[in-house]
Amino acid sequence: MTGWTVEGLATAIREGKVSPVEATQECLGRIGRLDGKLRAFITVDEVGALATARRLEAEQRRGAWRGPLHGVPLAFKDLCFIRGLPTSCGTRTSEYFIAEQDCTAVARLAAAGAVTLGKLNMTELAMGPFGDNAHHGHAQNPWRPGHCSGGSSSGSGVAVAAGLALGALGSDTGGSIRLPAAACGIVGLKPTYGLVSRAGVMPLSWSNDHVGPMARTVRDCALLLQVVAGRDPLDATSSPHPVPEYRAALSGVIRGLRVGVPENYFFQGVHPEVEAAVREAAEVIAGLSAQVSEIRLPDPQTMSDVCNIVSRSEGSTIHARLLRERPHEVQPVVRARLELGLQIPAYDYLQALRLRARLARAFITEVFAQVDVLVAPVIPEPAPPLAHATEGPVHELVVRQGRFSRLTRPFNGLGLPALSVPCGFSSAGLPLAFQVVGRPFDEATVLRVGEAYQRATDGHTRRPPLD
Amino acid sequence: MEESRAQQAEVAALLGVIERMAADLALAEEPSRFIAALEAGRAAAEGAAPSA
Repeated sequence: MTGWTVEGLATAIREGKVSPVEATQECLGRIGRLDGKLRAFITVDEVGALATARRLEAEQRRGAWRGPLHGVPLAFKDLCFIRGLPTSCGTRTSEYFIAEQDCTAVARLAAAGAVTLGKLNMTELAMGPFGDNAHHGHAQNPWRPGHCSGGSSSGSGVAVAAGLALGALGSDTGGSIRLPAAACGIVGLKPTYGLVSRAGVMPLSWSNDHVGPMARTVRDCALLLQVVAGRDPLDATSSPHPVPEYRAALSGVIRGLRVGVPENYFFQGVHPEVEAAVREAAEVIAGLSAQVSEIRLPDPQTMSDVCNIVSRSEGSTIHARLLRERPHEVQPVVRARLELGLQIPAYDYLQALRLRARLARAFITEVFAQVDVLVAPVIPEPAPPLAHATEGPVHELVVRQGRFSRLTRPFNGLGLPALSVPCGFSSAGLPLAFQVVGRPFDEATVLRVGEAYQRATDGHTRRPPLD
Repeated sequence: MEESRAQQAEVAALLGVIERMAADLALAEEPSRFIAALEAGRAAAEGAAPSA
């Protein structure tokens, strides 16, 4: 079971080789054995998961088939509202977060046959890129416990990498899907802004939040994206356009595709092993007959700052009541970030939103006239020890957080699809990754590049030494 | 006190981008043009990249 992918397990269930109950029991067994140490889950819904699996098995015996995920066990970041389960948003106080509606993305996965194993650990209020959480335990990197898992979708990265769940949902406001995917050695997709409904997901920043899939392979991410993408009347920002067939695009053929490797910003100050691994991945892609060249990008730092102003302002507005009524319950570094957001004048917030529009227009027009996708690093260094996230003065921790997410944040401001793909390991045995970034709503091409890379390499088939 | 000074410095650094760039914004620039930029990019994407 530990070697299954979403696609492989779904096929095995359909062919009667594995039952939904067996698959669910296997995941629950692994959670029971390993999660005391890994801290991927905040809530494990053993009773609910087994009841769903039994129901799906009975339906299967009658020849009924819910969809492409029939019987596949998944888990969800604990900011997705699910009826009957608590939502903590990574805080101490789940009763503070009351669901107005079920999460649309989770509901769509369930309608396609997925089994919900439970709710996954995350950085408090989704504010922080390392995966530390003083309330629910620091999520541990499955490749090297004691090191960061990446965040804020920390439990999603850990659970999938450790084989506790076949796939997961995360959310990404400044890198929170891609950072844990990169640090844990799995695949994570931040889709285009508006492609996946955010309804029923606790917001951090309306303008920069994205919901997306995390799984072991690009093919699995494509399958999960297919289910969750598309118009949702409950999310006014969701795109009305038809959703293409993503798996049909996974041909392995990228001949002639123009791939840009940034010559500015993205390799400045990154760890030499990260740089070497990403450049080697670009060579693999070139070896598949893509046209790889260097490209100078419109300054990503400007978009990163603009994105940060918007996210800080909106996050502090959303959580102002929590900050006012229960400041003592919020971790100091999270509280500091919320307090900072309250100091941003409306003038600067609104100018940032206007600047974002102009910067996005310029970036999309200039960059995608020259290339079809970009390939760049995701994390600037291999996952650091947890002490890097937890020890030191608060202002220093905030600076470290900003550094760790500086390669992902620009693409939140730009709203572009960005896929984190593992590309080997550091000398200390920690995963390394690159991101593929494409045109708006061109997830098909982004996934095609990532999948072609995975066809040509086998690093993603390695599993962390847990058993 | 040190934390407060650090926070003020961070806010000032963050808002520097507005000071540098906002004056050049066209009067007609507005936040919703971000969505328009994504939509225009989507339209351009159709048929732009070599297909599978």
